[in-house]
This record gives sequence, structure tokens and C-alpha cells, in this order.
Amino acid sequence: MAMIQAARPKRKRTFMEWARSRDGQKVFVMLAFMIVPLLLLFVFTYLPFAEMFGFSFYNMKYVGARKFVGLKNYMKVFQRDDCFGALKLSLYYMVGSVVQLVLALYLATVLSFKVKGGGIFKGFMFFPYLINGIAIGFIFKFFYTRGFVLDTVLQWCGFNLENLPYWLKDQSINNISLVGTSVWRYFGQNMVLFIGAIMSVDSELYEAAMLDGANKLQQFKYIILPSIKTIITLNVIMSITGSLSAFEPPYVITSGANGTGTYFVVMHEIAHTQQKVGLASAMAVVLLMIIFVVTILQKLFFKYVFKSAEDEDKNAAAKREKKLARLAARKAGK
Amino acid sequence: MKLKKVLALALATAMTLSLVACGGSAETAETPATETKEEAKEEAPAAEEKTEEAEAEAPEGVPTYSQITIGEDYTDLTATIKYIHCRTDREEDGTFAKLVEEFNKVYPNITVETEGITDYAEDSLLRLSTGDWGDIMFIPAIDKAELPTYFQPYDTLENMKNEINFADAWQFDGISYGVPCLANAQGIVYNKAVFEAAGITELPKTPDEFIAALQAIKDNTDAIPLYTNYAAGWTMGAWDAYLGSVSNGDNTYMNQKFVHTAEPFKDNGDGTGAYALYKILYDAVANGLIEDDYTTTDWEGCKGMINNGEIGCMVLGSWAFVQMRDAGEHGEDIGYMPFPMTVNGTQYALAGGDYNYGINVNSSDENKTAAMVFVKWMTEESGWCYDEGGYTVDKDGQNPDMYKAFETATLLSDEPALAGEETLLNDMNAESELSFNAGGNAKVQRIVEAAATGSETFDDIMADWTAAWNAAQEDLGVEVNN
Repeated sequence: MAMIQAARPKRKRTFMEWARSRDGQKVFVMLAFMIVPLLLLFVFTYLPFAEMFGFSFYNMKYVGARKFVGLKNYMKVFQRDDCFGALKLSLYYMVGSVVQLVLALYLATVLSFKVKGGGIFKGFMFFPYLINGIAIGFIFKFFYTRGFVLDTVLQWCGFNLENLPYWLKDQSINNISLVGTSVWRYFGQNMVLFIGAIMSVDSELYEAAMLDGANKLQQFKYIILPSIKTIITLNVIMSITGSLSAFEPPYVITSGANGTGTYFVVMHEIAHTQQKVGLASAMAVVLLMIIFVVTILQKLFFKYVFKSAEDEDKNAAAKREKKLARLAARKAGK
Repeated sequence: MKLKKVLALALATAMTLSLVACGGSAETAETPATETKEEAKEEAPAAEEKTEEAEAEAPEGVPTYSQITIGEDYTDLTATIKYIHCRTDREEDGTFAKLVEEFNKVYPNITVETEGITDYAEDSLLRLSTGDWGDIMFIPAIDKAELPTYFQPYDTLENMKNEINFADAWQFDGISYGVPCLANAQGIVYNKAVFEAAGITELPKTPDEFIAALQAIKDNTDAIPLYTNYAAGWTMGAWDAYLGSVSNGDNTYMNQKFVHTAEPFKDNGDGTGAYALYKILYDAVANGLIEDDYTTTDWEGCKGMINNGEIGCMVLGSWAFVQMRDAGEHGEDIGYMPFPMTVNGTQYALAGGDYNYGINVNSSDENKTAAMVFVKWMTEESGWCYDEGGYTVDKDGQNPDMYKAFETATLLSDEPALAGEETLLNDMNAESELSFNAGGNAKVQRIVEAAATGSETFDDIMADWTAAWNAAQEDLGVEVNN
């Protein structure tokens, strides 16, 4: 814009003239507003990241001398069992996040129509998200303790304490218990995001669909789902990224012991207990790369899913038209 | 416009105030200083001789620890010193305020500010690196080679050994940089009433006797024989304390020989060594002699439980004794016993310092002197160590009753690392990721998990540790002796 306008008069403006002109002032104001957030972003995000990236090439502790080791730390990340073994636990959290999203989408759809006490339900279900993650950890530590809350409730339901598993001790289910806490915490937030998106769907579309004889399921499939696909994609990406970097539940509830140490917990242990700062930094960079790859894959996946759905619709419509045309032709023939 | 005026006025007032403040502090600083000089001149010649001695030996103008006589020297010194520590509990209940009050009866002009820090292990390192933390702190986990950079030397190690026990905890090149605030003898906290009810008349002295005692508790009482405190994590790391002197009677092992040992975790076959030590835990778990659900143990809750006789014993340092005793109505039931391992007929106990007082090397000479006086007063006169149930730090101090069971045991304190190898154990710990006595909780938790689920045999774990240890030795180029 500025370039074009500046080019119009034949005489070239000096810098000072340009600076005093409306265009120049516009640029200055823009820069002035941008500089503060950009500076904060740079100082507190990109600069520390660059530092950490640098650390990943050194063999170092927090204090004391550093030794440059090149890519050795990265090789170790791929060689060690505990680093990538910990990523397997992320599968639990990914499955959990799918459950969480489906549950959130279902409840959001129900609650976005008129329901008695809908506001209260929304409030209750969103509430866990407002609690601090550490506090949630402590709540669930007692919740899962033998003979405490969960066991008591299940005993009311007729279960025998003897038949109940040890929720955190039994290694076959303790990760599921931990995933449960994070589903409990985050599904309310997902639900609220979904409700917001569903609210923005034009209500005339429902009316039109009802006139056409569409039932609720069809309304959901053909009206709601396509209208909120952006927010669904966003939520899925956030949940999967969150599953890869799960930290609070295992760290607070089991301190990563007993086979619950996720990638982040292992990284924390290596960085702070073993003081291998270089190796931990390399782990962080590798995780970032994994998250990049997974995000791109998801982007492609959703592009494919939603595109094919549209294509199918178009084909179907074309087929219907052809069919109608054939019928009409037959009728006309008769 | 109005705003501008207000701002200008505020600025002006702030400036004048700061000017006034400057003048005031300068004045107050001047007067007592001249007074002290005059008084010092007037004082008895004995004191003058002493200060001359101090000047001769300590050219910086700060006396060494052994040169100070509490109650006689520097009683008119004026300084304001800041002391940061990790005992938030004692800060809150006013113990420190009382101690400072007592201190000021002898040294009225030294103002001591104390600050308790909750997350001490990490925060103290951060403060140390900023440099502006005060004058006295508990020395955090740093490499010994860094000591001269941050802390003021107390005296040579030889001189300090005449003054206090456990002088060598923070020494570098024969110079001592730390004075322990408390000392602990490592053993096992147990409930006397539970042991009596189980029919145990004599305290166990070997691993086999100990397991038998735990079994007796399980059979004869409702108490949990051994409470692991698995979930808290650091309580599992406490097992590492018995690795050196206690398990083999050699006080040069932990800091000198351990790093050079080829197979530190091999089975000696006679109930000694690291193998036998961790085997106790494995066997106790495998035989069901611990709490039902170890993943949900509660550190705060266990104090009341052992006090009420719901727990037989716990493997913890002596500092825990006071907390367990005070946690309920049956404080008299709580006892402390040496760790049940016997080497060639002798039971050994490890005694050593807790956190050490370190003095900021960058403080002014006056503050350093005042800090030195305060540390020595805390050690010799305050009674702090005795009240906290600690093993005496002062050479001539008195031990509390809880150490009665230790009379039959031989007390050892670990010898420091050899010159040039001060950081080697730290490096080995980090490289092997076993972190003995340095937060290596996960490896001990692994023993519990393996024993409870049967996922690994004890020999597998020990073989794994040996492999990690040997790999670290190779990486760091450590000489290995068989």
C-alpha cells in the first residue's frame, strides 16, 4: 500500500517527509504497538529456546564447565530405552483424548439445544478445568488410595473391596487411572469450545432441515459437524500434543514411579536429578520435532477426511440428479 | 496536566526522602563504628593480643573459626547479617526468633535477619548463582571445587577437626568451608511398643534377624512391619545412606573406594555390602512385610501412624525421630536403633553432618566476622543441635537420649574424597544415573516394584546397576580396582 501511494507523485519524498505523512505514521504506530508483545515473545520464548537448543550439543551440568559433544546427545536419546519407551505411555493419553473429545462433542451437542438445568451442567463440567493441576493431582492421589473415595463409592454400588484392583499399584491399570484424571480435567473445556462453535451455526438451517424431514442424527452429521470442523481439528491437535507432553498427573500422583513415567517426567528426572542438562535439552528438541511431525500428519489427515466427505456428497448429488433425470425420461417415454 | 503535576510532586518527594535516608544511614553507621574503635582501644590487653594474632594469621581481617572465643571476642561488633535456611517449621514457630534474641544478649549490636525457604534445594542454588543472598546459608549441592568461589573458609581442616565433629563434609584442598548445623547418626526409627508386642526382646543386628523381626510383627500384631514411604520418593533414597560405613565397616568406601570398585553390587554372601543392604528391602516387599498399597503412602500421615503403633519401623535418618515423637500422644514409644547389619561381629553406624553453614565470601569483612561469630555461637552455645535431637557437632557437646541404642555400635563418619577426586562421585552418580545419596529415588523404588510384581529378580537389578556403574567408569576414564 505505502509503496503504491508513494510511487504516485513523481517527486520522491525524503525519509522525513515520509515519516511525517499518514503512511509513515501508520507504520510507526503499527511498530510501536507490535514491539512490546514481540519483545516479550522473543525474550521469554525464542531466546530461551535458542539457548536450550545450544545446550543440547553440550555435556553439561547447571553449574561448572561444559564440553561440546556434537550430536552425541541426540544419538543417546535414540539409543536409550527409557526415552522412547516413555513415548509408548503417550498412547494411553492419546486414546484418553479421543474418549475425551467424543464425550465432549456428545455433551456439547446435547447441551447446545434447550435442556433443563443446562447452565448448571455446563458449569459443573467446566469447573475441573479451573482447578490447578497440582491440586487435582492431590485430589486424585487420595481418590485412588486403597479404601478411600473411589473404593468407597464402588462399595456402595455393591462391589466387594477384595475384588477391586489397586488403582495406582497395579501396573496394568495405573496409567488408565492417570489418564482418567486428565480426561476429567479437560473434557469440560473442550465441551465449552464445542458449544461455542455450535451456537454460531445459523438456527434457520435446523428449521430447514426439519422441514426436509431430517432427524437429529442427520442434523448433527450434515449441519453441525461440517460447521465446526475447524474447532474439532484444533481440539484434536491440542489433545494429541498434550498427550505427547503429559506431565502433571504422573508427576504429582505417582511421581513417575511404577511404570507411569511419561516422556516429560523422564526428561525432568534426567535434567534435575541426574543433572544431564545437555541430554534433557536434546530430548526436548526431539519431542518438538515429533510434535511437528504429528501435527502435520493430522493436518493432512483432516484435509483428506473432510475433502472426501465433500466429494462423496457431490457425487451423491450428481447421481441423484442422474437418477431423477432417467426417471423423468422414462416417464416421458411412456 | 494535573497528572503531570502529581507525578512531578511524587518524584520530588521520593528524591528528597531518599536523600534524607542516605544522610540518616551514614550518620548512624558512623557513630557506632567510632565508638567500637574507642572501646576496643580501652579494652583489656588480652583482647588486643588476640586480635593481633588474628591479623597475623588472617590477612583479610576476618578471624578464623578457632580464633574466636564466644562471649569474649567481638562482643561490640556492629553488623547486620542475613541468614537463609530451609527450616521453615522452626522459622514459623518462633524458634529462630528466640535464638537470635539469646544471641543478642551476648552480641547486642549484631542484627540477624533469618529467612526460611520452602523449596530449599533448588531455590538456594538459584540464589547462590545470583550472588545476592545474604551472609550465611546452608550450603546447597554444589561441586566441591566451586566452594572457594562462593564461600568464606572457616579454617584449615586440621584446626577445625579440633573444634567440631564432621568438619570434613565441605572441605576442599584441606580448607574447611562448612560447619554442620546438626549432625545425624543413621539408623532406623521404630516403635518400641510394637516391637515388644511382637515379642522382640533384642534389637535385630543382621539382615536375617531384621526380616525375622518384621515377620514377627506381621504375625503377632496388626501393625505394618516396615513402612516404605514409596510414594514420597526421597524417603526411598534414604536407603543409600547405609551403603558405605554401615554395610561394610569401611569409612573410606563411600567417598574414595566406591567409584573405583569393579563390582560394588556383588553378593558377599555374609550379609554385608550393598547387595545385602538392598536385599533387605527386596525381601521385605516380596514377603509382604510392607504396607498394602505402597503407591499411595502418605508422608505426613505416617508420622502419626508410627506414633500410634500402626507402623513397626521406617528406614530414615535420625532427624526424623523428633518429628515422629512429636506427632502424637505416644512419643515415649518411638525409638531409634542402628541399622541391622553386622560386619565381622561389629555393628557400625554412620554419623555425619546435616546441612552446613556457609559464609558468603563476597560479604564485607565486618559481616563475615559477625557471621563467623554467629555460626560458632549457634554451634557451641545455642543448644539448637541438642534440642533438635541431633548428634553433637561441637566436640565437647552433649548427646540426646535417643542415641542410647547406639552405645554398642561403632560410630564412623565418612572420610572425604581423595585430593583431585572431589567431584568424581558426583560425576559417576550423574553418568550412571544411579545417584547414590543424591536423589536417586527411582532406582530404590524399582526394587519395591520388582519385588511386588515379580517383574525382575533381585540379581537382575544388581547386575543392571553394575553394568551402569561400569559403563560410567569407562566413560569417565576411572581407574578400576578389583
